[in-house]
Amino acid sequence: MTRIWIIFAGLAVAGLVYPFAMPGMLSVAVTVLLFAGWATAWDIAGGWCGQVSLGHAAFVGLGAYVVALGQVELGIAPWFTLPAAAALAAALAWCWGRLTFSLAGPYFTLSTIAVAEILRMVAINEDWLTGGAIGVFISTLPEPFGIDLFSREAQYWMALAFALGTIALVAILSERRFGYRMRAVREDENSAMAAGIDPTATKLHAFMLSGALTAVGGGIYGIFLSYLEPHVMFYLFLSVQIALTAIIGGRGTVFGPAAGAVLLVGAGEVFRTAFAQANLLIYGILILIVVLFFPRGLVAELTRRIARRRYARSAQSE
Amino acid sequence: MPDLLRASELTVRFGGLTAVDAVDLRVGEGEVVALIGPNGAGKTTCFDALTGFVRPGAGRVELDGRDVTALPPFERTRLGMARTFQTERPFEDLSVLRNVLVPAFLRHPRRAEAEALARSALERVGLADRADQPASDLNLARRRRLELAKALALEPRILFLDEVMAGLNPPALAEMIAFLRTLSDEGMAIVLVEHILEAVMQLADHVVVLASGAVIAEGRPDAVTSDPAVIEAYLGTE
Amino acid sequence: MDTTAFLQNVSNGVLIGGVYALIGIGLTLVFGVMRTINFAHGDFTVLGMYGAVAFNAAIGWDPYAALIVAVPAAFLGGVLIERFVLSRLVEAPPETTLLATLGLSLIIGNCLLLIWGPEPESVNVSYAATTIALGPVRVSVVLLAAGVLTLAAITALWLFLSRTETGRAVKATASNRLGAELVGIDTRRIHSLVFGLGTSMAVIAGVALIPLLFANPTSLGPIFTLKAFVVTVLGGLGNVWAAIAGGLILGIVEVLGTAYLASEYRDAYGLVVFLAILLLRPEGLFGRTTKRA
Repeated sequence: MTRIWIIFAGLAVAGLVYPFAMPGMLSVAVTVLLFAGWATAWDIAGGWCGQVSLGHAAFVGLGAYVVALGQVELGIAPWFTLPAAAALAAALAWCWGRLTFSLAGPYFTLSTIAVAEILRMVAINEDWLTGGAIGVFISTLPEPFGIDLFSREAQYWMALAFALGTIALVAILSERRFGYRMRAVREDENSAMAAGIDPTATKLHAFMLSGALTAVGGGIYGIFLSYLEPHVMFYLFLSVQIALTAIIGGRGTVFGPAAGAVLLVGAGEVFRTAFAQANLLIYGILILIVVLFFPRGLVAELTRRIARRRYARSAQSE
Repeated sequence: MPDLLRASELTVRFGGLTAVDAVDLRVGEGEVVALIGPNGAGKTTCFDALTGFVRPGAGRVELDGRDVTALPPFERTRLGMARTFQTERPFEDLSVLRNVLVPAFLRHPRRAEAEALARSALERVGLADRADQPASDLNLARRRRLELAKALALEPRILFLDEVMAGLNPPALAEMIAFLRTLSDEGMAIVLVEHILEAVMQLADHVVVLASGAVIAEGRPDAVTSDPAVIEAYLGTE
Repeated sequence: MDTTAFLQNVSNGVLIGGVYALIGIGLTLVFGVMRTINFAHGDFTVLGMYGAVAFNAAIGWDPYAALIVAVPAAFLGGVLIERFVLSRLVEAPPETTLLATLGLSLIIGNCLLLIWGPEPESVNVSYAATTIALGPVRVSVVLLAAGVLTLAAITALWLFLSRTETGRAVKATASNRLGAELVGIDTRRIHSLVFGLGTSMAVIAGVALIPLLFANPTSLGPIFTLKAFVVTVLGGLGNVWAAIAGGLILGIVEVLGTAYLASEYRDAYGLVVFLAILLLRPEGLFGRTTKRA
């Protein structure tokens, strides 16, 4: 437990120092942080509770659109619309989960794709609300205390707060009652029920929390891009990317999804020059490797092996 | 003695098969009731119906005078029922302590209290020294004890034990019998599904014999085992 | 409502639905025998489209002639994937194979993107706009060709499954793997064969579609995969005949929805039906009521 908070403190310090050390590389860092937060949020439902969703882009899109439309159409500042986006996402997750949690494993996963795709089509076609396929352009943002929210620095701090906040929340939950309820539901629903746990309620709460946090990241993403298109925001491959980041990093671990984000966004940057738009190739290759050889995820498996080696060494020296 | 659990006319059908046929059952506070019968007699299905894992086609289940027939298993657990599974199902990926923390949280939302309860449950079943091992590493006898610890951590009023003694070697069996005796002396009501007659004879206050889903005899252990109908249906087939 | 226009729409729906059925059959066959949900299925259809484009560009033959090369290649590819990836995951939880095939989908799509670039590709054939009058409706030749190809592929598959020794072994494996093994069927070989057949069906559908649709490397694959899921879930996963009915229903629903409701939601109708079926009748419209997987 304390080890988790030591690692967390290390990450926080790294996050605080980074913009001063590498001021020219802030865009990549924002992307890493957003994916770290999203993957960690995804993992609440997907890893801790075992409900693999391939539709989380719907929450990203919802968050981004609520923040953008709030600003552009109604002139409401992001700090009001971000909580609203989270609440809306939780409500969406509640309805969505109510409908689909009766489905087992792979069927649930397929149904999440269907729900997210339907939302994408709504975003494309309901021009009166979303600006349709043309999208929404955020041209003005308020300047709290004279901070320019269009600046990469401000966006970096928002993304950092989002990522660290999500990780901290998961670290806390993982050792609390709710964390244990999620684990029990993931491992065996009948045993969970025998322990007095309502599996459907647990899944719903996990999915709502996961969706709400993802939407907050979506709102920040909207500000970061300042231009929203349904094809980007509700993109099926964004859902896939978020899920695979968490799975490749390590499902059901506090830092696995964030580590996955560093690894994959970093690899994406390296491959971007070599492979242009085909940067998802690396996700495909890595998920195959993980599924075949590291079923717990790369980072989780790595730390497990290091721990085991250390254990073996201490056993030898005794 | 007032009844803690009362089942009346409990009936479960799977398609054309009647697995549990109009079973009546009463369990008083601190009483140990054993369900025995040949394989396929419907003991586990009866258990599932009592604990809510199977919806009965007819009949009702009352806990402390309250009708719980329509309640899902987790609601019954909250009201004081706890069960073990015949094929024990620890949360394989979690440590022994964390396995017991899951049920311990039911009545103790605070982590420190839940952990204290979980550790004391492990202490009681003699697994305290294995708290940090992964549950998947435990052997059969210890898995059984882990199941028991999980059930105890729910602080139940009535404990349903599905063949917790099967496959145990004689010393482990004697230990388990003694432990259940202690629990019962402390006032815990226990319902057993059990094949090992020796254990039933030592523990049960009341024995119910099932065959083809129906009750064919019940009464004190010594009376039941000398009943000719029981000998024919049950002992005769062994 | 104009009857001729309605019949015209229905006939188009039936023909496009036939191709959906062909895609769905491959998916349902793989699921029925292997209990694997193949997320890369639609990407094989896209591979078939690009195969035809490449064949046409390289030799200048009619795109349909690409089948000569594409079908054996797809079969071989399917067998190899089953051998080296899926057969290792038999014991793993069902999500794992879904993730593995999702990885394959990303690899296929992005490799196509690297080779062809993001611009849509198609093949120009001289008869693209030709239509034939069938009673009151006019049917385009390429749609008709797609229908004929579908019919031929499905008939061939049906003959294989019902008339050959190996085909019966496939059916035996689908209904009870352990039982099949007990009577001496090498179910590992059957799995490879079935996955190869599944990819072949997907590729044939791709060739049938290329004169009708533009191929694009990454986004079209998942759309086909989703359509195939809709088709199979509509009929009941694992049931070949029900997949045909499911394909026809999807084709007609899409065409009629586009014509009489809102055309922008063409791809949504199938998904809504898909969700409704999953939730209300997970065993499919024509499936028997069995336990949920």
